[in-house]
Amino acid sequence: MQNSIDLRKKRRWGETLIQASLFIAGAFSILTTVGIVYELGKEAMNFFAQVSLWEYFTGADWNPQIDQFGIWALLNATLMTTFIAMLVALPIGLSISLYLSEYASHRARRTLKPILEVLAGIPTVVYGYFALTFMTPLLRGIFGRDVVDIYNTASAGIVIGILIIPMVSSMSEDALSAVPRALRAAAYGLGATKLETAVKVVLPAAISGIMAAFIVAISRAIGETMIVAVAAGAGSNFTFNPFEAAETMTGHIVRISGGDLSYDSIDYNSIFAIGLTLFFMTLSLNVISQRIVRKYREVYE
Amino acid sequence: MKTNKLILTLFVLIVASLALAACGGSAESIAAPQTEDEVAEPQTVAEESAEEASAEEMHEGMLPMVDPTALSGDVVSAGSSTVFPLAEVMAERFLDEGFAGQVTIDSIGSGGGFERFCETGETDVSNASRPIKDSEVESCGALGRTPIEFRVGTDALAVVVSKENDFLSDVTLEELAAIFSTAEKWSDVNAEWPAEDILRYIPGTDSGTFDYFVEEVFDKDEAPILGASNTQLSEDDNVLVQGITGSPYAIGFFGYAYYAENAERLNIAAIDGIEASAETVDAATYPLARPLYIYSDASIMQEKPQVAAYINFCLTYVNEEIVEVGYFPANPAVLEAAQQAWLEAMGQ
Repeated sequence: MQNSIDLRKKRRWGETLIQASLFIAGAFSILTTVGIVYELGKEAMNFFAQVSLWEYFTGADWNPQIDQFGIWALLNATLMTTFIAMLVALPIGLSISLYLSEYASHRARRTLKPILEVLAGIPTVVYGYFALTFMTPLLRGIFGRDVVDIYNTASAGIVIGILIIPMVSSMSEDALSAVPRALRAAAYGLGATKLETAVKVVLPAAISGIMAAFIVAISRAIGETMIVAVAAGAGSNFTFNPFEAAETMTGHIVRISGGDLSYDSIDYNSIFAIGLTLFFMTLSLNVISQRIVRKYREVYE
Repeated sequence: MKTNKLILTLFVLIVASLALAACGGSAESIAAPQTEDEVAEPQTVAEESAEEASAEEMHEGMLPMVDPTALSGDVVSAGSSTVFPLAEVMAERFLDEGFAGQVTIDSIGSGGGFERFCETGETDVSNASRPIKDSEVESCGALGRTPIEFRVGTDALAVVVSKENDFLSDVTLEELAAIFSTAEKWSDVNAEWPAEDILRYIPGTDSGTFDYFVEEVFDKDEAPILGASNTQLSEDDNVLVQGITGSPYAIGFFGYAYYAENAERLNIAAIDGIEASAETVDAATYPLARPLYIYSDASIMQEKPQVAAYINFCLTYVNEEIVEVGYFPANPAVLEAAQQAWLEAMGQ
C-alpha cells in the first residue's frame, strides 16, 4: 500500500521532458502562424494607410508603379486558374477514388496508389515547365496559335489540376473507405448493382469527407505559385478569356519580390496586402470545410 | 542469423562514426591552420602569376600595371544608373584583387553625378551615360577641375519581334511610343499592319533597360507603358524571348547583347531606318544607343593614386566584363584614346 502511494507521487522526469518537448512542438506551429499573421498585418497596414480598402476591392487594374491598386486584376486570374484546376481535378480525382475504393482489386490498388503518390512528389516548378512547354503547345495545336497566347491561364490551370489530383483522390478515397461495409452489403442485398451502390449509397454517405477534400484542394490551387509564375503570365490583366496571359496573386508576389525592390515603397507593402488577402481566402475556406464536415457528417457506429 | 549480423554491423558502424566525429571535432581546431597554410600558399602564388600573365597580355604596353594591394585611401564616385552595374562589377573586381580602401558608387543619374563632381566637388569620379554639358564643364572650372572623358562602352536597346513577323522591319520612335502604350491592334499604329492584338513583352520596372526605354520613348513618363494592355513584364530576359518567339504579333525590347545571343530566333527592327550594328551603335547614330563614360580630373588623379589606379583598372579590364553586364564594348580605337587620355593626365 505504502509503496503504491509513493509511486504515484514520484515525478517521472523522463515523462515530463517528453511531454514538454511535445508541447513545444505543438506551440511552435501556432507561434509561427501568429508571427506570420502579425508580420503580414503590420506591413499590410502600411499599405492600407496609403490605399483605401474601397479602391483595393473595387478596382480592376493593378499597377502599383502608376498608382493603380485594384486587386481584381490579380484575384480574377487566381480564381480563373483555380476554377480550371478544379474542373480538371474534381471529376478525375473523384473517379480515381471511386475506382480505388469500390472497384480496384487489391493488386491494382497496390500498383496505382504509389504511382499517384509519385505525381504528388514532383516539384511544382517542374509542373510549371510542363505547362509552358507541353500543355501550352498542346492547347495551341488544338485551338490555334492565334487564339492561345504563349502564357495563358488555361494551361496553368489544367496543370494545377493535375497537380492536385492525388490530393483529391487520396482524401476522397479515405472518406469512401470509411463508409461501413454493412451499408454496401445492405445495398447489394436490396439488389443494387455495383455502380448503384457506389454512386447512390457510398458516395452520399462519404459526402462530408469528399467536400472537405475538395475545399482543401481549392486552397491548394489558390496558393499554388510556381506553375502560375512560369506559365500563366507576368503582367496584370483583367480578363475572362482563359487563353490570354494574366497574372495571379501568387505569381505577382513572386515577380515583384524577385527584382531589387526597395523597402518601404508602395510596391513592397502591396505584396503583403496581397499575402494577407490570400491568407484570409484560404483561412475562410478551411473554416468552411470544417463547418461542412461537422454539418454533413453521417455517423453510423 | 543474417539479420542479427546486419544489426551488429550497423551498430558497430554507428559507434565508429560517432567516435570519429568526436575525435574530428577536437583534432580539427589544432590541425586546421596548418593545413590551410600549406594548401593556400601555392594556390595564391599560382593565381597571381596567372593574373599577371593575362594582365600583361591585355596591356599591350599601353597603361602601367595596377597593383591594387599597394594602394590605400578611398575612391568616391557617383552618377548614371546605367553605368552603375558596370562600375559595380569593376569595383568588385578591384576589391577582389586586393584594394584595401572603399569604392563608393552612388546611382543618382548622370546629371546628379556631375552636380557632385563639378559643383560640390565631393566625388573623384563621375559616371555618365551622356557627354558632359558645357555648363557643367564651366562649373567644374570654377572649382579648378578640368573634366577628362574616358569612354568605357556603349548601351544599346534592341526592339525585337518573332521570326514569323513579316511586317515589322523598320519602326520610328513615334510608332514605338504608340505600339507600347495606347494602340490595341497593330493596324491602329499603321494601317498596313494586320488588325491583330499587339502582345507586349517588356523588362521589369526594376531594370535600367525599362528606365532607358521610358526615358527615350516616353520622355520619362511610366504611366503609358505600364497602363498598356497585353503587357508582360519580366526581369528574366528568357521569359521575354520565349513570349516574343511565341507569336508573330508579339514585340519586345531588351539589351542588344541579349538579342545577339538569340539572333536565330528573333528579328531586330531598325529604328528610324537605322539598323543596330557595331558601327551605328558605336557612333550613337542608332537612336536607342548611348555612350557610357567615366569622368575625372588630372589633378585629382595625380593627388590620389588610388583614383588613377581605379580608372586605369577600369580601362584595362572593362572589355572582359562589359558584355556580361549587357553592354557593347567601345571600339578599340576609342578605348585606346581613353587610355592615351589617362597617360596624358598623369603627365606620362
